[in-house]
Amino acid sequence: MTERTIFLQALELSSADARGEYLTQACGNDDALRQAVDQLLDAHELPDNLLDRPVAVSASDQAGRTSEVNSVAIGTLGQPVGITESVGTEVGRYKLREQIGEGGFGLVFVAEQQYPVRRHVALKIIKPGMDSREVIGRFEAERQAVAVMNHPNIASVLDAGTTKSGRPYFVMELVRGVPITEFCQRRQLSLRARLELFTDVCHAVQHAHQKGVIHRDLKPSNILVTLHDVIPVVKVIDFGVAKAIGHRLTDRTVYTQFAAMIGTPLYMSPEQAEMSGLDVDTRSDIYGLGVLLYELLTGGTPFERERFNTASIDEVRRIIREEDPPKPSTRLTTLGASPSTHSDKRQCVPAELSFAVRGDLDWIVMKALEKDRSRRYESASAMAEDVKRFLSEQPIEARPPSRLYQLQKFAQRNKAAIVTASLLVAAMFLGTAISLWQAAVAVTERNEKDQALQKAVRLQREADQARLQIEQFAKRMKEANILVTSGRAHADAERWGAAYADFTAATRRQPNYYNAWSERASLQVRLGLWKLAADDYAQAIELGVPTDNPANWGIPQLFLFNGDLESFRAYCRDLINQSEQRSEGVSIAVIRSCVMSSERRFDVQTFATRMEEMIADFDRFPDARRHRFDRHDRHDDREDREKDASKPPSEEHLTAAKETPKKDRDLDRDRSAEPDQTASQPGQNDADSADAVSQKDDPDQPDESAKPPWYCVFYPRGAALYVAGLAHLRADHFKLAVKRLNESLDEVEWHGRSIAYPALAMAYHRAGETEKSRQALASAKAALDQWADEIYSSPVGRMPVMWIDWLEAQLLYREASILMTGFVPADDVRLRRVRQRAVSLLGERDFSSDEI
Amino acid sequence: MKEDVTQILNAIEHGDPEAPSRLLPLVYDELRSLAAIKMTRESAEQTLQPTALVHEAYLRLVGGNREAQWDNRGHFFAAAAESMRRILIEQARRRKTAKRGGDLVRRNLDVDDVALANSDHETLLALDEALNRLALVDPNLARLVELRYFTGLTIDETAKVLGVSPRTTKRNWAYARAWLRREMEESD
Repeated sequence: MTERTIFLQALELSSADARGEYLTQACGNDDALRQAVDQLLDAHELPDNLLDRPVAVSASDQAGRTSEVNSVAIGTLGQPVGITESVGTEVGRYKLREQIGEGGFGLVFVAEQQYPVRRHVALKIIKPGMDSREVIGRFEAERQAVAVMNHPNIASVLDAGTTKSGRPYFVMELVRGVPITEFCQRRQLSLRARLELFTDVCHAVQHAHQKGVIHRDLKPSNILVTLHDVIPVVKVIDFGVAKAIGHRLTDRTVYTQFAAMIGTPLYMSPEQAEMSGLDVDTRSDIYGLGVLLYELLTGGTPFERERFNTASIDEVRRIIREEDPPKPSTRLTTLGASPSTHSDKRQCVPAELSFAVRGDLDWIVMKALEKDRSRRYESASAMAEDVKRFLSEQPIEARPPSRLYQLQKFAQRNKAAIVTASLLVAAMFLGTAISLWQAAVAVTERNEKDQALQKAVRLQREADQARLQIEQFAKRMKEANILVTSGRAHADAERWGAAYADFTAATRRQPNYYNAWSERASLQVRLGLWKLAADDYAQAIELGVPTDNPANWGIPQLFLFNGDLESFRAYCRDLINQSEQRSEGVSIAVIRSCVMSSERRFDVQTFATRMEEMIADFDRFPDARRHRFDRHDRHDDREDREKDASKPPSEEHLTAAKETPKKDRDLDRDRSAEPDQTASQPGQNDADSADAVSQKDDPDQPDESAKPPWYCVFYPRGAALYVAGLAHLRADHFKLAVKRLNESLDEVEWHGRSIAYPALAMAYHRAGETEKSRQALASAKAALDQWADEIYSSPVGRMPVMWIDWLEAQLLYREASILMTGFVPADDVRLRRVRQRAVSLLGERDFSSDEI
Repeated sequence: MKEDVTQILNAIEHGDPEAPSRLLPLVYDELRSLAAIKMTRESAEQTLQPTALVHEAYLRLVGGNREAQWDNRGHFFAAAAESMRRILIEQARRRKTAKRGGDLVRRNLDVDDVALANSDHETLLALDEALNRLALVDPNLARLVELRYFTGLTIDETAKVLGVSPRTTKRNWAYARAWLRREMEESD
């Protein structure tokens, strides 16, 4: 046997006797071998092995100076902390056995306590640079409080003292665990499991706070997880230690002290970073809990380690005090996009997390991380409560508890759920009422007593069953939700098959849940499986999916594309009705859907007029889209929208609509102006209108204070021009159609602009310009061809343009081709292949070829 | 430049025996200049983390390709570890000579000014020699130490680069660590 195998085998044996025995047996008479192995084993046990931390270097100008800063910074290569105690040394009544940790503060050993009881403890020796008497004094002051802490999730501090070389040390319950973040990562714990561990931490901290002990240094390396049998148990260590070591910092000591804490400012609260002498209280620990939760959710700290490593001390302090970290969900999104962190194993979190975190968990974390400590959670248990509320899907307390939010939270779970639940609850109450009444009757009519009681019992049983049903319903709902969330995560990662399977399972688990259907539909849309998507959307619509959600724009186009005229008409009619009910002008998106069909079922003249009004607004606010990332107050947007709807036709509008019969125009004006008159004060409307007109008379002097309407901010001008062009085409304003469509093709910023070609071809055709119409049709074909090619040669699920654009381009090209050549364009073989590829990825074999 | 390294990594993947030797100089140069930039730009109190340096070099040379596989990265890290070792050793040697000569020349900050405390240069040179001797016993152990010490890879990451199990890596590490310590204590 080589020294290597013997050495490694000996390491496995923990007791000295067993080890000795093994060595004697393994080495036999070979003294040289035995000596070599012994030396290796000694070397293994020696503390401060150079290799225990990767090399770290600092700039040379500072290297010669033996300041605290540098001895810490360079510590990895030298004797780091100037602690002479090592394995074998006796410290007080403890004997050091094994070094298990090293940090900015000093070294941690496993030590053996000889009396009064023999046991193993953790012993932490504090590095030089602190006055031992002060440290011990401060610890003594808090010792009483520390001693009364008794909580399963807190590792008790047992003792403190001074070593022979004058270093303070602390003795603690020995916890053989791993930092909580590492534990979660290694086991890839689910969100729920992470949150449950987290609430345990909260309870431990709460207990300490109740006993008057503040931790001050909560961070993963102080929160260990051990396994008791198979149950993970959290242990918060170092309570009372941070206060004893740390003390109020003066300017003179700020830098050295701060440097001494390098590695920890990631978890430091703003008030601690401020070092103003403001006393640290329990709310600093709440901040620490916030950072911890952030890390459990995202795998990273609110401020990036990398950044703190490269920033100056003052900069780090400024960041902590002033900068708002990104919300956890935002961080998760950017993490996913950034490959540099991708490689870092610690930062991988289960895909499930990213979606679940958005919303409530964001708020919980951000409330704990408030810079102003009075805005944080009042207590650790309040924070734990909120996490529990999240887990049981109740409204959380973080963020102002507006009624709307609570309602939103409830409604989120789904319309069907609410309706069903209220029916069942009603049934339950009725049942109870009837049984009570029956009981009363039974008392008065003694001869019917038995019968009545029986009935009461039966009714009670029915009520119980109803309750059970509600519970089961809620459970299925929850399961479906989890499946949908997981499906989304898969879809984001382009694992189409897994995403499809999850969504499908969700539709089976809870067939009344529209989200399951609409999510599956949007997956199918991404894959170009239009028919399947349309079917699922139809289902979702039946179940009440909201139509004004931009994610659902394009559903009518989908119906039309699949030749389902009836659904197309019904859906468009619905959209228009909704706009009218809300007293809003019809939106661009709605008009866009409605004008997609050549049949004139809708009031296309109004659409054309309305589009021209909106185009005029685009011209008034040419820079509106630059503000698209500014904060927008939703309420104001709504007001703008209403005002816009009420505006009388401008001059441009009149030129644009000159082909419009006067009757229509007046009708339009009357209808859109009507709701505003009821809403605004008398006279005000006129003033507004006058303003608006005068602005338009003089476009060189736009009103600086006026805010652009929301659609100018959020809708690409090119797309608006395209919709306007289409509206004119449908309204038989062919010249205007040509004008607007050509303008839209000039909008280089609009990525999808080529979709204007087929419409342009039709507009030219109808205007009698045959040659230009042929050219436009050829351009349309070329654009379609190129997109089809790109789609064909890309991996499944990647489209060069937005799916709505792609769908409309095909739709309108088909229409143009029929109009101009009399032929329906042939089915593109490439696209058929793409669909087949997509279907095969979904792992379903039961689709017949005409279903896709 | 970017293409080059990606191409070389692909060539290594496809078994081109020449490729690793083409990779090393590129990675070396990149790390050297990155270190120099860091040292001039950033505050003196800061420590330079080789891990961060190597990751940054990877991003600059190979780019943020999400699909980059670990095996592919493995070759890169192996080259980076060797480069880091060379850079630091060369620089420690130069320091030592300069000290002996006693002439302190004022220069612009350069990678040569990436410094360890004076005594640390001796330690590092001793480690370098011990590592050379370890490579004679088992070259894989020396590579393991390079990866762990000079680029700060974790056990798991190192295991991936070397293509062995984490358990084996952990055992090898324990042995190499003790072996080097013994070696360095003896030569003291």
